[in-house]
Amino acid sequence: MEAVVPDQVRQEVRKFWDIMSGKSGEKLADLYSPSAIVITGKGRQPEPANQALARRAQQLGDTTQDVSAELGELEVQVVGDVAVVSYTYQFHTARTITDGTLRQRHTLYGRATQVFQRDPQGRLRIVHEHLSAAASPKGDN
Amino acid sequence: MSPITDGQIRAEVQEFWRSFTAKEKADFERRYLPTAVCFSADGRRAEPARLMWVRREREFFGPKSAVSAKLGAIHVQLLRADLAVASYPFHFAVIRILPNGKRVKVDVPFARTTQVFHQDPEGGLVIIHEHLSSGEPVNPTEMPSE
Repeated sequence: MEAVVPDQVRQEVRKFWDIMSGKSGEKLADLYSPSAIVITGKGRQPEPANQALARRAQQLGDTTQDVSAELGELEVQVVGDVAVVSYTYQFHTARTITDGTLRQRHTLYGRATQVFQRDPQGRLRIVHEHLSAAASPKGDN
Repeated sequence: MSPITDGQIRAEVQEFWRSFTAKEKADFERRYLPTAVCFSADGRRAEPARLMWVRREREFFGPKSAVSAKLGAIHVQLLRADLAVASYPFHFAVIRILPNGKRVKVDVPFARTTQVFHQDPEGGLVIIHEHLSSGEPVNPTEMPSE
């Protein structure tokens, strides 16, 4: 299997956050291996990606929400057809609820680990993901 | 060289925590590649293992510090003959010394970790990436210095 090139991984990470920010119509599930394991920001333990993705799909489907993400520098470690990428991020959401109140949430110190591996067709897929925050998100919900 | 097995990774994780909680500094450090990328539980950015060693030695390995960990179910993903990912929840409890000299007690009932293990040319396993975190906010409690 062809070795992973760091720039390909960076491109996949940007694709992930474009989907998370509602800037891309691609499906988040297409980025993951069917056997991927993820640890989400609030999860108490690792879980199969399809469980976490079902919850994320609900959040992403909320079109009343403004979402944006800013990424720090991406550090990529390559071992053959596998790459481990680690970086920090900020994630902001804002939503106007029924009484007109604006609810905002800001994750200022997000940290991400994503492990990519080429699938049998040579496409990079996330096989492991760990998202966390070094400090509680700020906001009013 | 034989491919990594699930059992090897589980044993390595158990040994890692035995070494950490026993404060075996040299044994603890040899388990990492010096350039391994590490997210500590409350670090705002990743740091190389060689920097993390210095900080953990100061905060966790002194006579006034204590570390305990109760591990949950370990997921092992064998990605290549020489590469595997272990992820698991654990209950982490520490008494640590902060850079300002204060001694604090930290209880993390919903700690989570990801450790990426690589087999070196001699067949030994080393951590090349580590991500520690908590699923819930953590509130340290200040303790008397003695």
